[in-house]
Amino acid sequence: MNRSDLPSGRSRLDLLDPLEVSKLGGLELITEGVVEGFLSGLHRSPRRGFSVEFAEHRMYQPGDELRYVDWKILGRNDRLYVKQFEEETNLRAVIVFDTSRSMAWTGSPATVLPKLAYAQRLIAAFALVLIRQRDATGLITFDDDVRSVTPPRARLSHWHQLLGTLAGLEAGQGTAAEPALRRVVGQLRRRGLVVFVSDLLLDRVLALKALRFLRHRGHQVLVLHIMDPAEVSLGGPTEARFEDPESRSAVVLRPRDWAGAYRDTVRGVISEWRLACRRHGIAYHRVTTDTPFGIVLREALTPPSRSA
Amino acid sequence: MIGFLHPWMLAGLVAAAIPILLHLLARREPPTVVFPAVRYLVSTTREHNRRLKLQNWLLLLLRTLLVATLVLAAAGPTAPLDGVPGHSPSALVLIVDNSPSSGTTAGGSPQLAQLVAAGKQVLARSTPEDALWLIAADGVPRRGDRVALSELLGNLTVSPRRLELGAAIALAGEVLQSEPRPGELVVLTDLQASALSAANPVVPVLVGRPDKAPPPNTGIGQLETGTQPWSSDGGRVSVVLVGDSGESVPLTARLGERPPRQALARVGGTAALSLPGVPAGWWTLTAGLDPDEFRLDDQRVAAVRVAPVARVSWDSTSRFVAAACEVLAANGRIRPGHEVTLGRLGPRASVVQPPEDPAGLGALNRALAARGVGWSYGNLVTDVTSSDSGAVVGRQRVVRRYSLQSTTSGRTGVLASVNGAPWIVRGGSVILLGSRLDPAWTDLPVSAGFMPFVDVLLNRLARGEAALEEGSPGDPVRLPDMVTEVRRGDQEWRVEGGGLFQPPEVGVYYLRSGRDTVGAISVNPDPRESRLARASDAQARELWKGARVVALQDAANGAFSSASLGDLRGPLLWLALIAGLAEVGLASAWRRRP
Repeated sequence: MNRSDLPSGRSRLDLLDPLEVSKLGGLELITEGVVEGFLSGLHRSPRRGFSVEFAEHRMYQPGDELRYVDWKILGRNDRLYVKQFEEETNLRAVIVFDTSRSMAWTGSPATVLPKLAYAQRLIAAFALVLIRQRDATGLITFDDDVRSVTPPRARLSHWHQLLGTLAGLEAGQGTAAEPALRRVVGQLRRRGLVVFVSDLLLDRVLALKALRFLRHRGHQVLVLHIMDPAEVSLGGPTEARFEDPESRSAVVLRPRDWAGAYRDTVRGVISEWRLACRRHGIAYHRVTTDTPFGIVLREALTPPSRSA
Repeated sequence: MIGFLHPWMLAGLVAAAIPILLHLLARREPPTVVFPAVRYLVSTTREHNRRLKLQNWLLLLLRTLLVATLVLAAAGPTAPLDGVPGHSPSALVLIVDNSPSSGTTAGGSPQLAQLVAAGKQVLARSTPEDALWLIAADGVPRRGDRVALSELLGNLTVSPRRLELGAAIALAGEVLQSEPRPGELVVLTDLQASALSAANPVVPVLVGRPDKAPPPNTGIGQLETGTQPWSSDGGRVSVVLVGDSGESVPLTARLGERPPRQALARVGGTAALSLPGVPAGWWTLTAGLDPDEFRLDDQRVAAVRVAPVARVSWDSTSRFVAAACEVLAANGRIRPGHEVTLGRLGPRASVVQPPEDPAGLGALNRALAARGVGWSYGNLVTDVTSSDSGAVVGRQRVVRRYSLQSTTSGRTGVLASVNGAPWIVRGGSVILLGSRLDPAWTDLPVSAGFMPFVDVLLNRLARGEAALEEGSPGDPVRLPDMVTEVRRGDQEWRVEGGGLFQPPEVGVYYLRSGRDTVGAISVNPDPRESRLARASDAQARELWKGARVVALQDAANGAFSSASLGDLRGPLLWLALIAGLAEVGLASAWRRRP
């Protein structure tokens, strides 16, 4: 398949069903299609993303770029001022990706992508958006240990390297997020953006502790909580033995007897994560694997102050 | 007891185990599902697991109950219930108390008619599958179908025989013992208190009794004719009245068809009447009262033997014998003559006492043998003892006596005994005394009973008079040895001497030996029948455990109640519906909120 085979015009890949989109081609092609669709749908420049933060005005000096001249002040006061930005340089972002065994699961293989596959595509799109606005983007993958570390770079060729890393991922065993999150410190010497992509089936206390640590270091932190729809509402046979693929712990029950209570429990867990993150200035987004990528990107790339 | 119209359907109860089996099987092999969010499930179940287990067990119970009630309903369960038309095949014994008291007229109709009507109503409720018996006062269980027993009931008359209700219930229990069908006993009676006796019924008993109290009654309870035979000068009778009334009532007594003698008598008292002399022979004495609601005891009969006094030749050397005979002769009870010889063996009827000199004993025994007397004197016995109390002589001290030995087999004709050994015996027309009538041998001559003893000895025993017996209809009476025929009016019964005879009705039955009348049986209703007072319902229930006592007109409705069947399908289906709705309601409610 080549680029001309992709849906065009009104068929934006970023808004299509993720499984359908994944069937259209390889990771690179799909991601570019998604990002193109996503960017074409934005009303504001994506360049005003995380890297462009207005700080103050100063008098114009020769050599300053004309694009930073504040023309409104010139109109009112007949003086030349330029807008001073807090971070003049491009953003450095590190995506921390949970590749544990639980991420390889889907409740409905025929209709929904596994969490790992979905997250691969989402991360690739996310990285492409960042790199296109010249933000250096790195990637750390982990399961029960850190599996790969790709330092942040802003070149487009680096995105291809990231794609290669993502494409080569296989689900590991357990989940140990804290070491991976602490490895971010070595990759982000200045304040940057940390995107934590996981199903959060891990030790919440340790993970939150590591996230708080990153936040304390001045980084912006974004948590993308990946969930399969079958994890949100319980289904299955009349009675079944539900087994955790990582710990092998199991419980026997009748899903229809427990569906309501389970739904309440999941809501409670999500609520706890949301509250804990908000308390520490961490952006939190719950993402189900049947959600189109564009919608997730729009929510995730909205400045943290506006996010839910 | 619960029964089933389609008991084979009960095999379906196995289906009641299906929910349990499904539950157990499901528990045994649940499929394994890989599910990463097990920690959420664990967290969820930790809080609700105990309640869910309870819910599951409750649902299991409801489902099992649902299946079981449906299967039971399909089997058509039935249970005994009052007032339900129709009944399962059963065995019923109907006891109709047609004893003499049932002849009482109450409310314008004989009580028996009310009992029979109630009995027919009971039989009308029977079905061809029922086994039916009828027991009346004759005590014979008669089996038949509804029609046959109704006909028997219709022909039932007041029986002169008394019916012991306890015995009748026991008899009915024996009748039902071998019957596989559920048994029941219906007793239709006037519930006369004197007829009640305890019983231990093995089947449900329903007692139907009139709801009106019995009328007051006066009857003749006893008729005594005194010492017999009467002389041709006549005799005296005493009459005892029984009943409820305390007033004096007119009483009549007559011999045969002779003009009656009348007197006023009080209930509970004894009236004495003197009757004039009549020619020698057997006479029927009838005592009567004016008719009241209970007629059967208004008349009582007795046999009277009228004969001239015995002409006696006595041994004047025997001081006590001579003194007694002189006194009897002076009072007209005997006359001097040669009909009976007292003290020694005479040519005709004799009362023989042992000789004073033992040397004469052999000659006496030989003479007795020559006369064909089946007894002889044996050894002298000198131990001090007493005679056994009997009808002829009471308990008397005996110092010396000869043992009396029977020389023939068969019945001996012992009239009195000492320690079981014969003391006074009769052989043909000869009576042998074991002791001489002397205080050195026995205290009898110096006792108060000596004169009556000698009177009976000479006028009755020595002359071969048969005993006068009394009895009630249906009661067996033992006949004297020589009796060959029993006659009452034109009726005759050929009998065997020494056997039992059951007089069927009230009246005087004459006992004949060949062409001679040798005795009589006076048959009258049991005097207890005269007391019409009814027992209370509580008494009946106490004597017959579990008995239900109802009015006669309600007896039909109460009969077969132990086998009357109520259809339990309706309640069971309702129960199944409730169980089903509860299951659906609880299951859906818990599914929404476990």
